Amino acid sequence: MTHDMHNENDARLPDALRWELRALRKDVAPANDLWPAIAHRLASTPQVKPAPVAAPRSAWRRFAPLATAASLALAIGIAWQLRPVQTPAGVPASNDAHGQLIAKEADAMTLEYQAALKVLGADRSTGVPQTASKELQVLDQSAAQIRTALARDPSARFLLNQLQRTYTRRLELTQRLATRDDSLAS
Amino acid sequence: MLTSAVTEWTPTAPVVPPPAEDVDGPLVRSAGAGDAIAFEALYRRHSGRVHGVILRLVGGNAGRAEDLTQEAFVRAWQALPSYRFESAFSTWLHRLAVNTALMELRARRSRPQASDDEDALDSIGTLDSAGHVTALTMDLERAVATLPPRARAVLVLHDVEGWKHEEIAAELGMAVGSSKAQLHRARGLLRTRLGGSHDA
Repeated sequence: MTHDMHNENDARLPDALRWELRALRKDVAPANDLWPAIAHRLASTPQVKPAPVAAPRSAWRRFAPLATAASLALAIGIAWQLRPVQTPAGVPASNDAHGQLIAKEADAMTLEYQAALKVLGADRSTGVPQTASKELQVLDQSAAQIRTALARDPSARFLLNQLQRTYTRRLELTQRLATRDDSLAS
Repeated sequence: MLTSAVTEWTPTAPVVPPPAEDVDGPLVRSAGAGDAIAFEALYRRHSGRVHGVILRLVGGNAGRAEDLTQEAFVRAWQALPSYRFESAFSTWLHRLAVNTALMELRARRSRPQASDDEDALDSIGTLDSAGHVTALTMDLERAVATLPPRARAVLVLHDVEGWKHEEIAAELGMAVGSSKAQLHRARGLLRTRLGGSHDA
């Protein structure tokens, strides 16, 4: 027996019954107010946000893995630069020599930082959210102020540490923006 | 005088409620952004329809229907951010409610000792040992409610809710032919239970 035969033969519905069945389609309010229980459950039920729509993959995003490597290299470079200064035991380094060493470290760090920024494509000015753009600007201004302060007081190692933290923060933010754009494009 | 009466008379526009989607739209957008008050308004507007279809699908079991209605609204809350306004919200919600009820139906079916076993329910309303039809006075709603769960689901979706076999088969995870076979079975049982009062 085929299914078509099912429909055509004895199980066909008389018109009256068909209409009566359609008439069963009616709203039936629940006997109890279900909202308090639903509201209670909603409090612990997060909404599922839709996946972001993929954006076209921009050319510079292809360098994201390279950027990660560049950041890592910079971090290692900074760590090396900031290693404790070795001076012969019992021979205190003069203030001038100490100052020159710190200035040299600051210069080297800045060069590495600029190279890493270049790899990250940080000169890109489009598509950066406004809040992030403002933060990048503040970090750049801080770095410039620290460099000025270091020029005035070359022996202030704490300024070098501060410069390192600022550069690291700047690179982290740039890296995060790069990763975000990359995930949107994939 | 007449002129004055005519000019003073201002026709009152008939009070036509705004289309459902005009009311739902802003509420859906707010609820999708996490506004529980807007979602409560949607619940108040649609709970009767959602509960109604679920109640029919679970054979009139009020307790189960309320539990599943609750579940359907929680699932709707979760899924709202993904709602794209491609169909009317009421249609989207109705489908989600049916899906919630059918999921439970499938889960119950997979349990070995389900209380509403298909074969056990097949015997309701058929000839008893004395050869009498036991459900001559059974009304239509009651007769539908006592159908075996899967057959009832197909009959409710097809003959009450107006779904196509393709839609039912997809929702129930069965072949289109199985949906037709279940409908055939359901209609046969239904007519038997109604005791011949609806013969063609």
